[in-house]
Amino acid sequence: MDSAERETLARKVLAFSDADQTEVLVWSANSALTRFTHNMVHQNVADADVSVRVRAIVGKRTGVAITNVLDDAALKDLASRAIEMARLAPEDPELPDLSAGGEAAAPEGAYVEQTAAAAPEARAQMCDAIFKTAEAHDYWCAGYVTTSSHGVTIVNSSGARASFDGTDSGVNVKMTADDSTGFAEGYDADVTRLDAHAIGARSAEKAKASARPRSVDPGEWTVILEPAAFGELFAYLAGHFSAQNFDEGSSFLSDGLDKLYLGENVTISDDYAHPLNPGMPFDYEGYPTKRLTLVEGGVAKNVVTDNYWAHKLNRENTGHGLPAPNAYGPQASHLVVAPGSKPLAQLIAETPRGLLITRFWYIRPVDQKKAVVTGMTRDGTFLIENGEITGGVRNMRFNQSIIEALKRCEFANALHRTGGYSYSLIVPAVKIDGFAFSSGTEF
Amino acid sequence: MSFEGPAARALDTAVSRGADYADIRFENVRSERIEARNGVVATLSDTSSRGYGVRALVDGAWGFAASSDLSDAGIDRAASRAVAIARAGAAIARNRMGHAPAKTYTDRFATPVKRDPHDVPLGERVRLLLDAEKALHVSPKVSVGRAWMDLWTTDKYFYSTIGSKIEQRLSQTGSGIEAMAVGEGDVQTRTFPGDIGLYKAGGWEIIEQAQLAANAQRIGEEAVALLSAPQCPSGTFDIILGGSQVSLQIHESCGHPAELDRVMGWEANFSGVSFLEIEQLGRLKYGSDIVTIVIDNTLPEGLATVGYDDEGTKSTVSDIIRNGMLVGYEMSNDTARAIGRESNACVRAQSWEFVPMIRMCNLNLLPGDVPFENLFDDVKDGIYMESNRSWSIDDHRLNFQFGCEMAWEIKNGKRGRMLKNPTYSGMTPQFWNSCDAIADQDSWVAWGTPNCGKGEPIQTGRTAQCASPARFRNVLVGAGYRG
Repeated sequence: MDSAERETLARKVLAFSDADQTEVLVWSANSALTRFTHNMVHQNVADADVSVRVRAIVGKRTGVAITNVLDDAALKDLASRAIEMARLAPEDPELPDLSAGGEAAAPEGAYVEQTAAAAPEARAQMCDAIFKTAEAHDYWCAGYVTTSSHGVTIVNSSGARASFDGTDSGVNVKMTADDSTGFAEGYDADVTRLDAHAIGARSAEKAKASARPRSVDPGEWTVILEPAAFGELFAYLAGHFSAQNFDEGSSFLSDGLDKLYLGENVTISDDYAHPLNPGMPFDYEGYPTKRLTLVEGGVAKNVVTDNYWAHKLNRENTGHGLPAPNAYGPQASHLVVAPGSKPLAQLIAETPRGLLITRFWYIRPVDQKKAVVTGMTRDGTFLIENGEITGGVRNMRFNQSIIEALKRCEFANALHRTGGYSYSLIVPAVKIDGFAFSSGTEF
Repeated sequence: MSFEGPAARALDTAVSRGADYADIRFENVRSERIEARNGVVATLSDTSSRGYGVRALVDGAWGFAASSDLSDAGIDRAASRAVAIARAGAAIARNRMGHAPAKTYTDRFATPVKRDPHDVPLGERVRLLLDAEKALHVSPKVSVGRAWMDLWTTDKYFYSTIGSKIEQRLSQTGSGIEAMAVGEGDVQTRTFPGDIGLYKAGGWEIIEQAQLAANAQRIGEEAVALLSAPQCPSGTFDIILGGSQVSLQIHESCGHPAELDRVMGWEANFSGVSFLEIEQLGRLKYGSDIVTIVIDNTLPEGLATVGYDDEGTKSTVSDIIRNGMLVGYEMSNDTARAIGRESNACVRAQSWEFVPMIRMCNLNLLPGDVPFENLFDDVKDGIYMESNRSWSIDDHRLNFQFGCEMAWEIKNGKRGRMLKNPTYSGMTPQFWNSCDAIADQDSWVAWGTPNCGKGEPIQTGRTAQCASPARFRNVLVGAGYRG
């Protein structure tokens, strides 16, 4: 469904509502993923859907109803259900009026037709290139190739009108050798810019270089985290930039803005328009998203808000709202960590003894306020001795405060997009001193 | 509602396009969520979703396409897409792993429900949560109070080219409360019941079982008390885990590694592989003799209880761990066939738009014969921990570290002072072999996990791990706070 069709649908539903205020959100999505293991496809899927969400406000009461049944009877019932729920809901005295939105232009490169139109044969050929690399090394590979398109349209009774279409694609490969593994990934709105063969080859190089891993003692190490590892770690800091967590005391920034919390070389922004990850220029309330500096030179400068939290805290609405109302608060979902000045190779060369880490796994918070997290290394962990990579090491568990790590870090000079199922970030590789490992494994 | 007409059209289309086998699963899903947060209703939503997923098998390769378009053209498009996707995979296949199911069923199943939650007026549901949430605020230090409720109803209609016709109505509900206290430079959280609420198959009776309002004041008080509680010590201790924490331990260290797709490398790039390799079946001493863990997808109130799984296989009871020995896996048709067994109906999809895959379903640690309070008797110097706060395990499912919301020291068989920030860690087989007592049936609860993530695209599964509290000897405590 294109943006014009979504807007027609949204306006029809808006007309069905006689609530005091109404917001209609229409999502469309068409995604496909070819997943493989042991050099063959074992899961090959696609799905398409369009959903409509109505937020009805009666006085200071709110109700929300969602459906993907799009005939007029179902849509009239949808509006009625939302209003009925609003009438039964208790009042929220702090509920602001719906915002009138504003102009928000999609960043260049957010939608690429070749990605939206990618056929299963194209994904299969990308997989096949990876399989051939695995077979050439006598390894086996597991991973996926995915392509998707998605659209969002929002209209409300205050006059907000916003629409966005985007695409995305990704390649994710874990290569398995006799006693070692390697990982590589790539993501782009334009699938034609993804080189599946090169990504497969990189994962194979990692597996080869980490063969015959040795054990090293846990304890404090100098580590160099490649972007996939740093991204997985840094994603656990994202919630701290929410105005909700800031106000409620669970953010590391809750002692106030304009204070030094991190190293003076740390600058963090939220930028939906970054060319490595161009995204939606407005939030799920139809309000234009600000490109925002959150931390500059280690000093906290901003938190992200939505309509509710901007009103509650008397701050500017930065346009970072999820579908409202919600229990999660506004979210910084396009985080960018500014790069340093040295190439990754130089960071390695300047390390007398340390660990180069490709990827982390199963990171979970241990202490919310101090941002202590635990997790494991996986798929390519290497010993650095006298500035050179000297071989693979067995995986280890860490317990580390992200805040403390970002007080003693040095960033590489290149930015990469990295992602997981719940985040997409732009980060450099980073060198961190005194990274705390607590135990090891036999693999 | 019957989908026989659209089903026949989809299956005919798939076969005419070259499918050797096909099935289609229609779903009508209704999800209602209410969440009270700091005195206001932060979420009050009613979501309905209707659609279908077609699986097609072409030359040993599977294709799956899902759509919400129920028009004839939409049905034809989705069925054709599933076949085209399967064919694209078959074209680059090195070997053939897909097979059609062997058994055909025509049947109906419905979750037993004592009271339909939708018969309870919305205003009454909201009031229950607002009252419970309000009672959490025992002190200004309670910065956030939450109370929530989920009601899920799923109507499923499964049809296949070998003649299966299965209709199911699944009803699942859950609710919980949480208090977050802030002060003294610290943040502490308490949740009830368990660490995520009480989630089961059933109706309003499950909400009533949770007893939210009756426990809210205590939970608020415990969150505040934790702010000034002493830090849990580090070292090697005998530990007793509360039932919900044992449930999560089963989930992470038995449920996931016993998924046969993981064992076979199907999740290698994401969720990981498994130390429970096929060569270990019948040989590995996974746990002590008192540890028996079974799959029971027929269990009353089990969150994952269904009549049939999403491949059309009838629910069964089967062993994973029997008296400490590894004897089975959670299986699908294809994976079971690969090791010469039959599926034990462990295949689920999150909803119509997702491909069915192996999920852990109801995986239960059978109760022991020790009353809960007697678990403490033989502990000279130990720690009792409750309600998970942090969970992490490696991608082979061996090296784990869990944290709980609160703990109490145990001295000479008696529960002593409250402790904060408890963590414990270990290696899975050593840990389960150190289990020397499991509490009896009186404290056995069908703990549901409504948010289990697995697969790509990631799917959220609703699983259960029924458990009672248990005791483990010589466990490493405190690594999370020692570095």
